[in-house]
Amino acid sequence: MKTEKIFSAGIDIGTSTTKMVVSSFLLKNVAGVTHVPRIEIIEKTVLHQSPIIRTPFINKDIIDMKKIEEFISQQYQLAQIAPSDIATGAIIITGESATKENASEVVHTIADGAGHFLVATAGPDLEGIIAAKGAGTLQQSKNSSKVIANIDIGGGTANIAVMQFGEVIGTCTLHVGGRLIEFKDGKIQSISPPLMRLMERWTNPLAVGDAAEDIRVTHCIEEMVQTLAMILHGQCRDEKHPLLLGHLPNWHKPVDAIVFTGGVASCIYENECTQRQYDDIGEKLAKMLLQHEQLQSFLWLRPEETARATVTGAGTQTTEISGATIQVDAQVLPLKNVPVFNCHLDPSTDFNSTVRTAVERANDLFSIQDNRSPFALYFSELPYLSFQDVHALCQAILLHLATRCSKDIPIIIVIQSDYAKIIGQTIQAINATVPIICIDQIKVETGDYIDIGEVLPSGVVPVVVKTLAFHSK
Amino acid sequence: MNDQLVSMITQLVMEKMEKSTGSQTPEIAATPTEQPLIKFYDTVENRSSGTTEAIATSQEPLIQLYQHGAPQQVTTVTSATFEQPVNDAVPIKPFQFEAGSLSESVQAAKKHTPARIGVGRAGTRPKTKTWLKFRLDHAAAVDAVYGEVTEDLLQKLDVFQVTTKVTDKEEYITRPDLGRRLSEESKALIQQKCKPQPKVQIIISNGLSASAIEENVQDVYLALQQSLSNLNIDIGTTFYIDKGRVALMDEIGELLQAEVIVYLIGERPGLVSAESMSAYLCYKPRIGTVEAERMVISNIHKGGIPPLEAGAYLGTVVEKILRYQASGVELVAKEG
Repeated sequence: MKTEKIFSAGIDIGTSTTKMVVSSFLLKNVAGVTHVPRIEIIEKTVLHQSPIIRTPFINKDIIDMKKIEEFISQQYQLAQIAPSDIATGAIIITGESATKENASEVVHTIADGAGHFLVATAGPDLEGIIAAKGAGTLQQSKNSSKVIANIDIGGGTANIAVMQFGEVIGTCTLHVGGRLIEFKDGKIQSISPPLMRLMERWTNPLAVGDAAEDIRVTHCIEEMVQTLAMILHGQCRDEKHPLLLGHLPNWHKPVDAIVFTGGVASCIYENECTQRQYDDIGEKLAKMLLQHEQLQSFLWLRPEETARATVTGAGTQTTEISGATIQVDAQVLPLKNVPVFNCHLDPSTDFNSTVRTAVERANDLFSIQDNRSPFALYFSELPYLSFQDVHALCQAILLHLATRCSKDIPIIIVIQSDYAKIIGQTIQAINATVPIICIDQIKVETGDYIDIGEVLPSGVVPVVVKTLAFHSK
Repeated sequence: MNDQLVSMITQLVMEKMEKSTGSQTPEIAATPTEQPLIKFYDTVENRSSGTTEAIATSQEPLIQLYQHGAPQQVTTVTSATFEQPVNDAVPIKPFQFEAGSLSESVQAAKKHTPARIGVGRAGTRPKTKTWLKFRLDHAAAVDAVYGEVTEDLLQKLDVFQVTTKVTDKEEYITRPDLGRRLSEESKALIQQKCKPQPKVQIIISNGLSASAIEENVQDVYLALQQSLSNLNIDIGTTFYIDKGRVALMDEIGELLQAEVIVYLIGERPGLVSAESMSAYLCYKPRIGTVEAERMVISNIHKGGIPPLEAGAYLGTVVEKILRYQASGVELVAKEG
């Protein structure tokens, strides 16, 4: 059977470190000869792993984009692959780097320049999920019924993703990281704002200039680990907890096992701490995690990747392949950063009003002033549709979307179940001139963004579902 | 017994089984007929004899169901004093199904397969509920083979009907060769009614499952028609064949000199679905065409390849066959 090969890149710009991987995917039709084709990625090979470098900054609030671009082009040379060969992949800005002034500009510029189809992503929940995938934890969760939490602790944040049976069932992010307190010459050089807020409750908080060996540093780390343990045990109810970034835990099952990834985890599993050239609390944090009593009740599992979990995830786990029977106007691809609006089709109401309401609400959400930007209408859980139903639905879609579409703004439809070909074809039968992208077998949610790559020889498109949440300080 | 009665009785038995509460008094299942078809007894009768005699006369219900006692009836050797039956004190309880207590892992696994997994067992045998479900599915499969496509559907599709050399279902099953040839009247009818030398000839047959055609053919056919019309490919005059076999397309291809034939036919039913349909395609099928030149998209039904999506996909396959002027193994070779 024929296979095709595509190249993928992953870049992670973290709080303290930046790294990159280049890998190749092998695609193949895995359906039987008597079936409609189903193209899947059957093999992933990491071709090149960059060294882990310190994230370069111009000053405290601005990332040095030029240095990162130099680093990336140097790594492409080492991997012996041209950026134009990169058919998919993701660049993610994580931890405190995502709060910098030029964070959004950096990821979007690099995504456009550093690969033919490279996707910009950001968002603490996505970070945790990508790290869990990159570390192999999601795969591991398929092999047992245990509820596993993957905790990715980098310099700035700890991103928790909880999963069972190969599915993510919840996420949570904390301001817990190795670089939240930095030292220089045996003294505290900086303390991150969330920690300052945490210490507001203390009678005698730490301050810049205090000794690195101060007992209060240990207290501070203890409190970080204590908070993590409470979150994992589901005992934290305080929405305003100073170490919490975003929402409280949203999983509903008790966690059975834990896996640590990220830079701090390399001190947990590998005892490589002597190699760490960073003068911060990372090492002490790792030791505290290993010793903390309340974490001992969990089963400890080992990840396949530690410091490189997120970058491996970004490079090898973000790309999905659409269904094989789709309808796409090849000229308008690739499409980047398309927001998704979920249109829930209720069998009891008519298609026309459902589609109209969805289009109106999506317009309000995504169009800035009169500037109409494309968005994707997502149909999840479609009921069983007959030919007449599809016809009625397509007429409703055309009625409300055809006027706003143009060459730059095609009608973009994403469907969870296998209906893309018939819906795309019916729209074309009614109106042959509108540009249309209709893909299926992709799961997204309102608030997600979707990037759709160019049509591959087998007729499928690579798709990256992502978030673009640059949280503020 | 006719088919409807069998399925009705099976349904009734299953409904009864699923009721979690039951009364101690004998219940009579409500049926539309005057004479009750089924009687359920919740108490054990004729315990000493061990066997029940159900004599069906015109005055009595057709099926009698007895609730046998709990496994306590089995006496263990150590405590046995054979004069005293030990189960006298066991109160007779109304029948209740055990509540299903599937572990999360089994539930997760069940999501991935329609197979009968995690159904438990009673000793070395399947449980009653599983067994009845199995019988119901088997009956549905039998019905699919012996059923007929309704006149109503053929009218909706606006197709005329022809026959093969087969006279009845038994002959259809035992003589596949006769299902591969048209009857003489049908040949004349086809030549009279159909457009000759069509680019694409669509034909439909119940094959081994009338339910497959009943459930799926309309959506597949309409989607295929639309797809071919979008691609500017002409279609001949569609017709329906009663009791046809796949290789019948050779004779029809010969008769009409069709370029491509798309043959929608009911598949041999299985226990997961009795409604699965196949679409066979062939470039220039003629008498003597070998099987390697045919291709098939199978498993078209609501739980498999969705009928609409299958129809839309078939259009692109037809386009490919026309482009390469080949089908089956030769098409794969030409595609390189």
